[in-house]
Amino acid sequence: MLKKFLNTILQVGYLYLFALLGNLLAKWLHLPISGSIVGLFIVLCLLHFKVLKLSAVELGASFLMSEMLLFFIPSAVAIIQYKNEILQHGSQFLIVILLSTITVMVVTGLVAQYSIRRLANKKGEIGR
Amino acid sequence: MIAFICILLTVLVYYLSKQLYKKVRFAFLSPLLIAPCILSSMLVGFHIDYSDYDSGGRWLSNLLQPAVVGFAIPLYKFRKVMKKYAKIIAISMTAGVTIAIVSSGLFSHVVRLNDHYLLSLLPRSITTPIAMAVSVDIGGMPTMTAIFVIVTGISGLILGPMVIRYLHIQEKLAKGLLLGMGAHGAGTSKALEFGSEEGAAASLAMVLAAIFTLVFAPILTPLILL
Repeated sequence: MLKKFLNTILQVGYLYLFALLGNLLAKWLHLPISGSIVGLFIVLCLLHFKVLKLSAVELGASFLMSEMLLFFIPSAVAIIQYKNEILQHGSQFLIVILLSTITVMVVTGLVAQYSIRRLANKKGEIGR
Repeated sequence: MIAFICILLTVLVYYLSKQLYKKVRFAFLSPLLIAPCILSSMLVGFHIDYSDYDSGGRWLSNLLQPAVVGFAIPLYKFRKVMKKYAKIIAISMTAGVTIAIVSSGLFSHVVRLNDHYLLSLLPRSITTPIAMAVSVDIGGMPTMTAIFVIVTGISGLILGPMVIRYLHIQEKLAKGLLLGMGAHGAGTSKALEFGSEEGAAASLAMVLAAIFTLVFAPILTPLILL
């Protein structure tokens, strides 16, 4: 139990280091993408070339991913700083965001589902 | 000291709201909706400045970076499936990103928001740092964009499962893609609740959405402003 706990913390540390490395690279090379996505690609490469073992980061990654909503909370609390904008335009913002999010999800989901089924039919499989 | 208390308080409120959500499983009680409401009422009630709160909150927000790096693991595990469906993924993501940008612009016109807000809304469906970068690039307000990104995340957490249910989306890949495309990291965490394959598809969608938006947003913006 304690060993698993310490291992998780250690692995979160590793992943943090890759994120920092990604940040540095993104800055030096003037990449338009963010450091954490650069870090993701670095880890993906290291796993692919077997430099990094899956077991060395898996525990930390699944911990971070399962508690990810926690890391969004402070940015969500930041909304209180924009009281004026929200009082003035809040309902407009909400309408745009809700309608647009539904539209995006419906289109992406239907396009993906349609293409998967078409591919499955071509190959004579049942699309699932 | 205040920083430490704020971290502790945030974790505690998050933990309690997560327990509540596990019991009732009601989408509107998502920890990402309830916890910020409780915390912001506490800040207002105790007259604590957001900047003081954020001296601690920042430490938690920073953990989002290693979490994004961690999405490499599901991507790696399901790389064969992803490769097999590469074309389908590319088509779905191109459609998703285009619709995300165009529909944000269109609906902003409909509700008569001015161009500053419209431009800040365009990149709202991707992960925060890149959304803010795109916002600067196309002439929006990056701090407003960050707010729109988080509201999108909360909306997607609630709407995503409904869309899946009403449209009878059954393919794991399609579920993951729509969640990651529609609601970035928040959607991806929801996809992981469905299963690890959905999670992998959502992680890929999140990353691709960010990269595609970076390219598409500056091209589509002049058309939307017409």
